[in-house]
Amino acid sequence: MTDNEFKAAFEEHKDAVYRFAWRMMNSPAAAEDIAQEVFLSLLRLPGRFDPSRGPLRSFLLGITRNFVLKRWRDENQWEELADEHFVTHPISIERSEIAQIVAEAVRGLPLLQREVLILAEYEELSLEEIARAVESEVGTVKSRLHRARENLRRMLAPLKPRNSERSEVSHGTAK
Amino acid sequence: MEPLNENELNQMLRKWEAPAAPPTLTSGVLEKRESSWWRWLLTGTVRIPVPVALAVAAVVAIWIYHSRPAAPHRVAQPGTVSLADFKPVRQLQPVVVTGGQK
Repeated sequence: MTDNEFKAAFEEHKDAVYRFAWRMMNSPAAAEDIAQEVFLSLLRLPGRFDPSRGPLRSFLLGITRNFVLKRWRDENQWEELADEHFVTHPISIERSEIAQIVAEAVRGLPLLQREVLILAEYEELSLEEIARAVESEVGTVKSRLHRARENLRRMLAPLKPRNSERSEVSHGTAK
Repeated sequence: MEPLNENELNQMLRKWEAPAAPPTLTSGVLEKRESSWWRWLLTGTVRIPVPVALAVAAVVAIWIYHSRPAAPHRVAQPGTVSLADFKPVRQLQPVVVTGGQK
């Protein structure tokens, strides 16, 4: 990888890598460290990227995911990673803004559900790309995504608009 | 409590926005990129599979064994001859030997 190719790749994907790490880690400093590591590892081992297996973006998000997982394991050695039967309760909405509540809910998901949800909803990766990034089967990704959304629907139930507000929400206040 | 429907969930998820990468990320990566090779030479590690490491160690050991300098051959030094104790015979007594009889 030439110097210019590296710079172009960095400029194009730095935001996606940082955003993903930021959403996963809940810490700007940790997200920045991870994003740095991701690009430096691309620089050291450019041969690891095989364009025939998917775009550079999903490759970089896959590396990001590995660094996130490594940190998570360092910090939560005794916690079970695959919490398949995790069921959440509605969260309190009295003290926060909606964005904070959504953040809290997403970050409250088990790691394996959280990563597929973030990659699908926020980074808009296809199921195949997510499967490659998280080193799983497409079917597994699908079911994790389904469980993540089910959990979020329950967790965020207190935010459900009342009948009078529904029309406003359905027209969309989101970007 | 009734859960959100799919549309409502999508609306909610969109409200959580992430910041763009900070400028310090750019400067950090570009700075480390400059020094990454010599830094790697000083502090980097290389992962080698155990069988490969053992094979390399065996090859090196064999090579060292065969390439050691051979022990020099000892060449017998010619003995020194001294005539210091040489005494000439006092009387010469010639003996003639013929046909194996004295």
